[in-house]
Parts: sequence; C-alpha cells; structure tokens
Amino acid sequence: MSKPLLTIKNLSAWYGSEKMVLRSLSLDLAEHEAVGLIGLNGAGKTTFLKVLSGLLTTFRSDDILLSGRSIKVRERDFKLCRYTVFAEDNSFQYFTFREYLSYVFSAYKEKMPDVSELVQGFHFEDNTDILLKDLSTGNRKKAFLITAFALKPKLLLLDEPVNGLDFESTEYLYQQIANYKEYGTVLFSSHILESITLTCDRVLVLEDGQICQTFESGQINAAKIREALRYENDV
Amino acid sequence: MKMMFNVFSKKLFGAKYERLTRTMLIYLIVFWGLYISNFQVRIAPFILYLMVSTFTAGVMWQALSSEDNAVNMQNMVMLPFERRKFVFSYVAAMGIYTLLTKTAALLAVLLAVSVWNWIGLLGSILCAVNAILMVAAIFSLKRYWYVGVFWFAAVFAAIFWSWDKPWFILSILANSILAFLVLRNADGYTFYLQEHKGSLAARGHKHHSVWIYFYRYLKSHKNYFLNTVIMWCAACALPLFFRQMDRLFAIPLGLAVLSLNTPVCILLSCDHALERAVRFLPGQKKTFCIPYCFFIFLCNITADMFFLCSWQMQIGGVAIETIAAAVFFAMQSAVFSVLLEWFYPVRGWKIESDLWHHPRKYVVPVVMLLLAEVVWNIIGGRI
Repeated sequence: MSKPLLTIKNLSAWYGSEKMVLRSLSLDLAEHEAVGLIGLNGAGKTTFLKVLSGLLTTFRSDDILLSGRSIKVRERDFKLCRYTVFAEDNSFQYFTFREYLSYVFSAYKEKMPDVSELVQGFHFEDNTDILLKDLSTGNRKKAFLITAFALKPKLLLLDEPVNGLDFESTEYLYQQIANYKEYGTVLFSSHILESITLTCDRVLVLEDGQICQTFESGQINAAKIREALRYENDV
Repeated sequence: MKMMFNVFSKKLFGAKYERLTRTMLIYLIVFWGLYISNFQVRIAPFILYLMVSTFTAGVMWQALSSEDNAVNMQNMVMLPFERRKFVFSYVAAMGIYTLLTKTAALLAVLLAVSVWNWIGLLGSILCAVNAILMVAAIFSLKRYWYVGVFWFAAVFAAIFWSWDKPWFILSILANSILAFLVLRNADGYTFYLQEHKGSLAARGHKHHSVWIYFYRYLKSHKNYFLNTVIMWCAACALPLFFRQMDRLFAIPLGLAVLSLNTPVCILLSCDHALERAVRFLPGQKKTFCIPYCFFIFLCNITADMFFLCSWQMQIGGVAIETIAAAVFFAMQSAVFSVLLEWFYPVRGWKIESDLWHHPRKYVVPVVMLLLAEVVWNIIGGRI
C-alpha cells in the first residue's frame, strides 16, 4: 500500500446512551485509492461517514491521523481536505447549482474550475440555474456529485452515491470514481455490488460496526463479497 | 379512527405520550410560580376570549400548514381510509396538541396573574375549541379563503360585542357545530400540502450570495415573511403602549420586544440538512454565520427604526444616542441569536410550530431586558 492518507484507530460510535453502531473500527486509507464500504442495512456505513464528516459527536477513538498527523474531525485543516456527498441532501435549497458550486468553492478557498464536462457527463445541462429545492431527488444528487468531483478534495466521502441516479449517470459516476485516484482518495458506501466491484481498489465489508473482511485489489469478486455478507439474494 | 388518531398523536406527543406529561408539568410549575408571586392584573373576559381565540387559531393554522406535515401525511393519505374518519382523527390530534401544548401555556400564564372564575375558564376553553374547529374548517376551504376571512371577522365581532350576553356561549357552540359540519364534508387531501415547485425559469446567478439565499428563503416562506412584516407594524404601534413608562426604560424594552422575530432566528433549527451542511463545510463561521448575523441585524434594525420614528412622531425626544442604542441592541440580539443557533439549535421538535413557540425564543429578549435594566439603573441613577 502507498503512503497512508487517513489512519483510524479503534473508532467506536453510538447513538443515544446504548445503541453502539461502530465497534473499535480500525482502518488505513492510502493516498490515491478508491475504497468501497459494503454492508447490510444498519452495519454502520453511514455512521462511519458521518463521524468522518464531523457530524456525530458521540464517538471515541484512540487516534485519527491525517498524513501521519493526529487530527480532530471537526478541525478546519481536515475539513479543507474532505468533502462528503450524503445519500440524501436537502441543504442550501434556495441556491441554484451554480450558486452552490460558487459557495462551496469560496468555503474551500479554491478557484472555480470549468465544470462543463462534468455537467455534460451527468446530463445536467438544463438544471444548472434551477433552485436546488426545485430539482428532482436524482438531479439534486447530481448537483452534489458534480460539486464533489469539481472540487477534487484529498478525501472524498460518498454515501450511497448511486441511489437515485439514472443508468447513464451511474456509468459516468463509476468512471469518475475509478479515475478519482489521480486526485485523491475516495471512500464510498454502497448496497450495489456492481458499483463496488467496478471501481474499487479495496473493498471493506462492514458487519455489526466492525470490518469483518477486506478484499484487496485482484481479490475483488462479487460472489465472494456476497458470501462475506452472508446474504444469499442479490445485493 | 382510534388507530389513526394514535398514529397522528404519537407523532406529536411521543410514542408513550411522554411529551404531554412533561409539558403539563412545566405549565403547572409556571402557573404555580406566577401564582405565588402575587402579581395580579385585571383582564376583561372578552380580552381573555379574544386572546385565547387569536392565539389558538394562529397556532392551529401554523400546525396545519407546517411543511413537515406533508412528508408525514403522504403515506397516510394514499391508504384507503374512510374520508371522515381520517379528517376527524387528524384535526382531533392537531387540535388536542394545540390546546394542550400551546393554548394551555397561555392560559397558565393568564390565569396565574389574573382573577378568574370557572365561567371565564370554561368560556376560554370553548373559544379555543371553537378556534381549532373553525381554523380546520377554513383550512379545508382553501379555494374559498375569503369566506374564512369573513367568518373570522364575524366570530371576533361576536366575542367583542356580545361576550356578556346570555346567548354568547350558545352562539360559540353553534359556530363550532357549523365548523364541524364543514369538516364532515372535507376531504383528507385538503390537509396534505403538496411540495411546492417554484418556477423552473432560469434565474440563478453565476456567483453565490448568502443574502439572495436569505431573501429567497423569506420569499418562499410566506408566513415567515408575514411575521417579519407584522413585527415591523407592531414597532409602529408600540410607542402607544409604552408612552406612560419612563423613556429610559421604555425604549430598551421596545427594542427587546422587537427582537422576538422567531422565524428568522431559527434558520438552522428548522432545516436539518442546512445545519448539517454548514457544520461539515469549512469556513462556515465566516461564510455563513456572519451574513446570517447581518441578516437578523437588518430585520431587527428595520423594526427598531420604525419604532423610533413612531416614538419621535408620537412622543419625541429621540436623540443620536437613542439611535446608537438601537444599533447596539439590534447587533447584540443578532449576535446572540446566531450563537444560540450555532451552539444550541433546537432539536427534537415535532412540527415547525414548536420552533416558533420554543422557550428559547425568549432568551434573547430576556437578556436584552436585563441589559435594559442595567442601562436604566446606570443612566437613570446618574441622572
């Protein structure tokens, strides 16, 4: 594995006073790799991404290291390194896509690039000047995905990015995830095996808040992952 | 019907109705605390009836038009329930919620500080129930909203002029029955607010502006905008009520009251997705919170300026120091409101109306009143 970007040691997270969702989860994410997170409902995928996005305070860990430096998930330096696309996002409803894009780039203090290729790739041309609240769920998802791929953060977190996308956009998304290694690391959760097997260098199978199995590049195989999930039906 | 009522009421009161017990206990403490303070005012029965009716009607309207109801209702309206049972279960749940968690608070305060009798109390409860039924009936007549305006005006006129007549109670009962009959013919879908899709025309800008965001937010939430405008109108009328007081206390008191603009101060509390976004994006204290602070400041200072202009016209004596004090109070209120939203957003609310009536809204005015008291003591004492 190349140089580690993010190292997480013994991360546990919980909701309320007793509902433990993540249990002593340890993980290394290398620079420039695409990592898939798969697991059944309630396995802790979204919770894990929430912790990394600084949205859950009820967690503890021995350490979280970014490029070898101990960090806090809510600190500005870490925020500037990562961007998250949530499974469902109704934020900034009164911005159009272009305004949202400009807002995010100003927050990250980055110069806004030309996003026409991404806009075309996701078939989003007719929606760039419509308020986010007036877009369909799928189109809203595209707005956030385009923002993420235009921003190119060092660490890109995607929570079930395929949900709600049409067939062509899904294909384009796979392509974007697979190519993302050029810019940084992408960690994404999904229920769809195909999305993981087609794009990832590494697959982590999450079960009951722990990583129960890891498939390295070359071992990634839908049948084996399905077996690991102890799930007989198609995922 | 019982099952449907349970579904709606559990959403509002909690799975084990635990919220109801907690709220009642708080109101009992408030009532007892105010009662033993021996603070007494005289409230004419018709004022009590009008206050209870207006407040209950306003809260019921807010509850029915709450956007988050649409999400919860969409799964219910598609099921093949019987129309009448559905409507009455929904109205009953919303009505009981309004009565027990909102009107009860007003009654607890009013009854604790005034001399009352059982007839007055029963009349108040009847007025509240009537307001609930009437608002639900008017809400179901959306297309004929002007009928609602006349209906309301007629009931208010009746309370105002005939509250002491022997047939007053009967007339209110008759009105409630009329509202009940309207509801019998209402369709459940009239309570389901479809998601509003705005104009799809291109109207965006190449660059973002948080100000435009706030403007669109207010424009989209007509009730929020209306509340802000009402606050500005109240600002013009306040000097009428405060003119008897010492100017050094009345002006800060007015400024504190005018900072009670709830809807602009609950932006993050009422929009979880926005709160999540501003927490995970970097630099939001500068990019979001400062413009938000200025937005609240602008709303406050506009109300304050109306208040001071009205004061100057009616009483006079507004000096440059008064204007500076208004700017200071408006800014202080804005900063404090944003800090509360950032560090202590209101969570666990059931419907948007809860946010409007959450006790947190009084924190900023109370701090300002304390500040006014300090200013009064320092400057007044010196003079």
